[in-house]
Amino acid sequence: MIAWFQARPGKIRASPSCRNASALICILLIAIFAPTDIGSAEVAGPVPRVLILYPYDERIPATNIVGEATRTRLLEATAGKIELFSEFLDLSRFPEMRHVERMARYLAEKYIDRRPDLIIALGEESTRFIVRNRNAIAPDAKIVFGGFGSATAEELRLPDDVVGALTEFEIRKTAEMAIGLQPNARRLVVIAGSAEFDKAWIAAAQEDLTGLPRNVETTYLTGLSIDEFAEHVAALPPDTIVIVLTVLSDRSGRNFVPRNSLQKIASAANAPVYGPYSTYLGHGVVGGNAATFESTGAAVASLAIDALAGKAITDVTVPQSYMADARQLRRWGLSEADLPPGTVVSFNERSLWEEYWKEIIAISVFVAAQSLVIVSLAFERRRRAAAEFQARRRLLEVIHLNQSATAGALSASIAHELNQPLGAIRINAETAAVMLESKEPDLKLIRQILADIRDDDQRAGDIIAQMRGLLKKRSEIDWQEFDLKDVIQSAIHILRPEAERRNVVVSSMGPPQGLPVRADRVHVQQVILNLATNAMDAMLHASGAERNLVFQTTLAGTNGKVEVSISDTGCGIPNDKLSSIFDAFYTTKPAGTGLGLSIARVIIEIYGGKIWADNRPEGGAVFRFVLPLAQRG
Amino acid sequence: MNLVGPTVHIVDDDQSFRTAVGRLLEASGYRVAAYESGEELLARLPSGHGCILLDLQMPGLSGLELQARLADMAPFLPIVFLTGRGNISITVQAMKAGAYDFLEKPASSTAVLEAVKRALQLCETRRLEQDRVQALHTLVARLTPRESQVFRLIVRGKRNKQIAYELSTSERTVKAHRHNVMEKLGARSLAEAVSMAERLGLLEKTA
Repeated sequence: MIAWFQARPGKIRASPSCRNASALICILLIAIFAPTDIGSAEVAGPVPRVLILYPYDERIPATNIVGEATRTRLLEATAGKIELFSEFLDLSRFPEMRHVERMARYLAEKYIDRRPDLIIALGEESTRFIVRNRNAIAPDAKIVFGGFGSATAEELRLPDDVVGALTEFEIRKTAEMAIGLQPNARRLVVIAGSAEFDKAWIAAAQEDLTGLPRNVETTYLTGLSIDEFAEHVAALPPDTIVIVLTVLSDRSGRNFVPRNSLQKIASAANAPVYGPYSTYLGHGVVGGNAATFESTGAAVASLAIDALAGKAITDVTVPQSYMADARQLRRWGLSEADLPPGTVVSFNERSLWEEYWKEIIAISVFVAAQSLVIVSLAFERRRRAAAEFQARRRLLEVIHLNQSATAGALSASIAHELNQPLGAIRINAETAAVMLESKEPDLKLIRQILADIRDDDQRAGDIIAQMRGLLKKRSEIDWQEFDLKDVIQSAIHILRPEAERRNVVVSSMGPPQGLPVRADRVHVQQVILNLATNAMDAMLHASGAERNLVFQTTLAGTNGKVEVSISDTGCGIPNDKLSSIFDAFYTTKPAGTGLGLSIARVIIEIYGGKIWADNRPEGGAVFRFVLPLAQRG
Repeated sequence: MNLVGPTVHIVDDDQSFRTAVGRLLEASGYRVAAYESGEELLARLPSGHGCILLDLQMPGLSGLELQARLADMAPFLPIVFLTGRGNISITVQAMKAGAYDFLEKPASSTAVLEAVKRALQLCETRRLEQDRVQALHTLVARLTPRESQVFRLIVRGKRNKQIAYELSTSERTVKAHRHNVMEKLGARSLAEAVSMAERLGLLEKTA
């Protein structure tokens, strides 16, 4: 399993997979190490072709990150005027020589018409491959490499024109950083696994760490299983420094992604753990000194740009940096002030506060105030909604009381009307009974009688239904669309007996077409009944010979409204009272509540209308109201 | 007389009630005439004897108004009022104006039939009475002016002497007139003559 640059520690210095590395770190590192002179480079001539060789397959994050950073830089610097090709050599899964040769032949064939001007080789294996096969694939191309150190480069005996961005690992810098943070530490434990790579790392580290202060006792811990490592670090005193190099595989032969083995060890450790890879950050290390894959990519790209521009290039070293995890610093009680200058501290929530405390306070106060306002508004809104609900319920109750009063006033005539069919039913039934007693009953007549009984029963039922509509209590407005003319007819039907009793002639007129309105039918009917009974009362004591109650509907202009007028031949309304009659408790009747007209006004206004009164020039009063017509469509 | 038998006149604006009552009465052997309104009844003013079933509350001519008109035009037809509910003031008015009976809707068929039966009896009585009065009028018409004068004075209890004095004639002449009067009227006694005068309404007039 090779999940990263195949490289020998101390010689080829690369780092473990960065697949899950925090995006924050990547951005910070790019920002810090990005070469600032790339933008000035210019590539002359036709669009250059650049082939990027990846040593493994497309799953390997380490090479992917370097490759992606390289591509991004190249595209930025040339404003897209560059042709980029990528080839994955897949050498970890196909390490056989035959595959290498096949790949060489394939690429030579593939690029026969588009020879790359420059080849970027990522990692040692790609570099070795292209150096060996450059004549077949791209004889004239310049070669830039990246992803390993100067020792490996020397060993590869690279030709002079093959130039790269060297990645150096100096474990000593990581150790010095640790000692700076833990000046009282007496022991340094360096951990590495059992893989060849791990062993090579230990050897390199031993060499590198010789010059440490004498009072720090250095122990190299290797050849253990992952659990034994964890056990061991858990027993260490807190003033120990632990450096984890890599554990690619442990004594039992288990293979690991180094970051994961590091995480396991760091979580068990009783002392701060450090490591030489940026990808370790966020997985349990306090910090370390490392070059990031992004900066490697940027450095490689920078070399490539210069090479394409025809400039002379030489090997560069990818800058390294100190990195630290603020959470781990806090965990171990280490001071940020003891970090080497220029250390990039990640996961530092505190610094946000320290840097922006004024803004944070201001924003928090603002947010809190805003929340307070929102909450109070929401509360107020709820309160108002509840109050409105209450008010509306009361209003509906009052309307219903008035409705009952109207019904009560009309109950005598309604009872009379009900008695007509009931009387007929009774007499019909008894007549039929008598007829059946006779020797030869007239069955045809009896059948007719039964039909009449049924019709009268229907009639009585209709009257009761009408009455029930009048008395129905509502807790909510029952919105419906109906024809105003129907409601007037039904009101006239209810009023007729009473009108007849009082010798009032009822008539109605209006346009032939329907007059659809949207409202609660019972409420509108109530208004009409109120106005009409008022009118009949007004005519009770009038001296005029004729008592006329006239309902008239007219379409009011073109604005989609309908006007209903109810006029009488009564005694009229004193002119100074025309406006006050709609006020509550205004009454001229000894038994009146003075609420009828005010409720009528409330109802009409609920449905977006208007109500008013006038005196007719020929005598008597006229009450009018307008309602908006329902929109048809 | 009584060639067509008694007719029950039903005046009600409610068609179904009118039909139902008409059917009941026809089934009970009465002749029935139905009218939708008071105006219609007046237009087809009933003749012969019978009675009127009248709805108190109707559009147009009300029951009371109709009653007032009928009192002049058909005084022998008793009126049975039908009301939807007891309305005391209207009832009292109707009674004062001579309503014969009241039925409250919904009335049972028995009540309707009984009321009609009694009303028709009353009508019959009234007719007989009227016949008698008519006969009396005929008799009285046969008296000479002088005899008529004497009759009016006799029934007021005047003595022959007083009458002779009032009429500036002799007591003997009065006696002869008196004899003729009693003869023509068929009265066998003074009391009978007084009764006839009373029925003809002659006693109320002051001499």
